[in-house]
Amino acid sequence: MASTWRLVLVLGAICFAASVALSSIYDLTKEPIAYQKKLEVIRSLEAVLPGMEVDPDSGYLDMQRKEGTPVRVFRSISDGKVDGAAFQVIAPDGFSGNIYIMMGVLPDGKLGGIVILSHAETPGLGSPIEKENWKGQFKGRSLEDTDFRVKKDGGDIDQMTGATISPRAVTGAVKKGLEWFADKKEEILTAGEKTS
Amino acid sequence: MTTYGKEFSKAFFKENPILVMALGLCPVLAVSTNAVNAIAMGLAATFVLVCSSTVVSILRKIIPNKVRIPAFIIIIASFVTIVDLTMNAFAHGVHKTLGLFIPLIVVNCVILGRAEAFASRNSVLKSIVDALGMGASFTVTLGVLGALREILGSGAIFGFPVLGTKYAAMLIMILPPGAFIALGLMLGTFNSFQRD
Repeated sequence: MASTWRLVLVLGAICFAASVALSSIYDLTKEPIAYQKKLEVIRSLEAVLPGMEVDPDSGYLDMQRKEGTPVRVFRSISDGKVDGAAFQVIAPDGFSGNIYIMMGVLPDGKLGGIVILSHAETPGLGSPIEKENWKGQFKGRSLEDTDFRVKKDGGDIDQMTGATISPRAVTGAVKKGLEWFADKKEEILTAGEKTS
Repeated sequence: MTTYGKEFSKAFFKENPILVMALGLCPVLAVSTNAVNAIAMGLAATFVLVCSSTVVSILRKIIPNKVRIPAFIIIIASFVTIVDLTMNAFAHGVHKTLGLFIPLIVVNCVILGRAEAFASRNSVLKSIVDALGMGASFTVTLGVLGALREILGSGAIFGFPVLGTKYAAMLIMILPPGAFIALGLMLGTFNSFQRD
């Protein structure tokens, strides 16, 4: 019996020490991690709404997507008017896993730009969707002047060598995002307090 | 050569964790798509290895034989979580690319292997030297593999293009099959020299 108690005691003590160490590290890193996450949002907002200022802590509107999932719409407001909105869209049909995209839209329905927030596409094959020379082509396009399909499917968006699935997924998600924006335009572009 | 020197250098040749013992191959294959990721992974694993070897060696006379494996795993898992949180807070970019593989250091056989085979039987100082040697060797081997795959697969090293624009990158080298091919070639070359 004595030896059993010893097993329990030693293992328990090790677990206790581990939890003390981990909770203090967690406390120490909580702030910097939250700060990094916020920095990431700020950076992506700057990239998709160039030249505009958005306060990620208060300059947003919580809305719902068509499927009922929540989406946070960040808005840049100057002179009491909304001059740009940015929100996240998810492409569920990538090569592996969801692709998270931040897209910025101007009041006239033109794209301010897109940023790939995270993805798990094949490195080297699908991953160039992150690169400026691919995603940059979205800037300034709108539903009126662009057929949001990759060229292989008869649209206007360049795919890249060797990979069609990832660009197709991103393009589809951006198109859906633009359509959603057109649908909710009034609500998003009405400045002031949260409307819903 | 002193005993400590021997404990350190054995990891590079006779007991090379990757090329001779073939341990911890999951992260080796997965993160060696480029040199930076490979080295970051190697350093993270080295940190966990040194810390856990030290603690295991200090506690080697207290931990009862029957519960040594769970005790080792708790110690290793704690250090991995510490690395995970710290990297997330202070090296956010690297953390994003290594992502999933940091928590997986827990099951890296090199670390449990050294705890079980060396640190639980040797003095603290010797265990630290052993862990440093193993970690350094793991990092160097992983770095070489990563560099090899990056040069062949994307014509660059540490992200800088070196082979010129005319080089047609062998995409397969940064895809999973390339990991096996490159590792196989390295293993073969290394062992053919070792035999003499």
